[in-house]
Amino acid sequence: MASRKEQKEQARAARIAQEQASAESAQRRRRLQILGGAVVVAVIVIVAAIVISSGGGNKPTGSSLTTGSQATAAQSAVNAELANIPQSGTTLGNPNAKVTLTYFGDLQCPICADFTLGKGGGGWPEFVAKQVKPGNVKVTYRSFCTASCNNTSVSNPQALFNTQQEAAYAAGKQSKFWDYAELFYHLQGTEGTPYVNESFLTGLAHLTNGLNVPNWRVARHNPVYAAQVTADNGLATKYGVNATPSFVIKGPKGIQSVGSGVLTYSQLESAVNAVS
Amino acid sequence: MSAMSGPAEQQAAARQGTRRDGLMIAILAFTTIGFLDAAYLTYVHYQGFGALACFGAHSGHSSCITVQSSQWAEIAGVPVALLGLLGYIGLFASYLIEARFDGELGRGMSFCIALIGCGFSLYLTYRELFSIHAICEWCVGSAICMTALAVLTGIRFLRGAPTAT
Repeated sequence: MASRKEQKEQARAARIAQEQASAESAQRRRRLQILGGAVVVAVIVIVAAIVISSGGGNKPTGSSLTTGSQATAAQSAVNAELANIPQSGTTLGNPNAKVTLTYFGDLQCPICADFTLGKGGGGWPEFVAKQVKPGNVKVTYRSFCTASCNNTSVSNPQALFNTQQEAAYAAGKQSKFWDYAELFYHLQGTEGTPYVNESFLTGLAHLTNGLNVPNWRVARHNPVYAAQVTADNGLATKYGVNATPSFVIKGPKGIQSVGSGVLTYSQLESAVNAVS
Repeated sequence: MSAMSGPAEQQAAARQGTRRDGLMIAILAFTTIGFLDAAYLTYVHYQGFGALACFGAHSGHSSCITVQSSQWAEIAGVPVALLGLLGYIGLFASYLIEARFDGELGRGMSFCIALIGCGFSLYLTYRELFSIHAICEWCVGSAICMTALAVLTGIRFLRGAPTAT
């Protein structure tokens, strides 16, 4: 028989153990509640961040390439314009043509797009049909950063300019530079918005008729294109180019600046005649 | 019996305490490394990419620049590097809350912040690999820190408060 004192101590010990168990149980419950709350909060924040980052909450204009009728129309127009015209690198037309037109452009430049697509009196489509396709003139594209470098919506406009121009030059390795560049102009987003990104550039590659996209991806890593963009800038400086599109024409009778902006076909034709 | 178990319990508690200290040291180390990494990327974001040291190359220029100038480098105009930096500051704050105010809540906050950082870092790494096709070593470094922190703070949270010896 336990003494009264021992019984009291046992009861006390039992009470303390019960209180400890109860406290531990409450602590476990609280820990589980915090854990559940932490996981729920984390999931909500991660999903929200991914949705916003993917463009769902702040979709930049033109961030995803149109894959519907606009893209199809652009493809058809480009394929029709450039069909049966030889290409090599950034040069379009007969490699033995006596006249060479140098086109200084920026793929984000809306004036270049107007000129190239024949908007606002732009003479490019007619020029291609009447001067390039018959083999009288070849056109060489050179990069000069204008609209891209003024695009403050992106962190590093110059780097993005280089990336986009190099992507087009890499298509030139497969003689598809002009297809890629013209598609770019057709599907150009709003100036000053961050629509040029990897999915846009890769989307253009997929739309480019006959372009082997895996090979294009590999070619983009070739530093020769970065060097070419730098060299183009040097050439632009040499010719006093300060806007895009700007043109310099060279033929048997010499070399001259054709000017810049949305040139008409007649202006281009006059320039060809002047140097031929 | 109690004379035998006393020192053994003390030794076990000491070992447990040492493990806890080691865990906290590892957590502090990863948080500090991640904080410095995110601070550097934030600095570069506002200073200009000329200040960015990068080992990779992409299209003739730094792959870090490619990643940092991509659309995924910002969320609603806020650089993700800055968000990462705020995350690490939040982790330090949670350690302070744990030490000064509420241990359980502090550990829960640490785990929650690290889990968010880990989840979003993994998403950004996926974008680097499959959308941008370029890798930024600094971003990967921060992703590794956040993943390690999610695991370590999770373990620490589940272990609970150190028992008084």
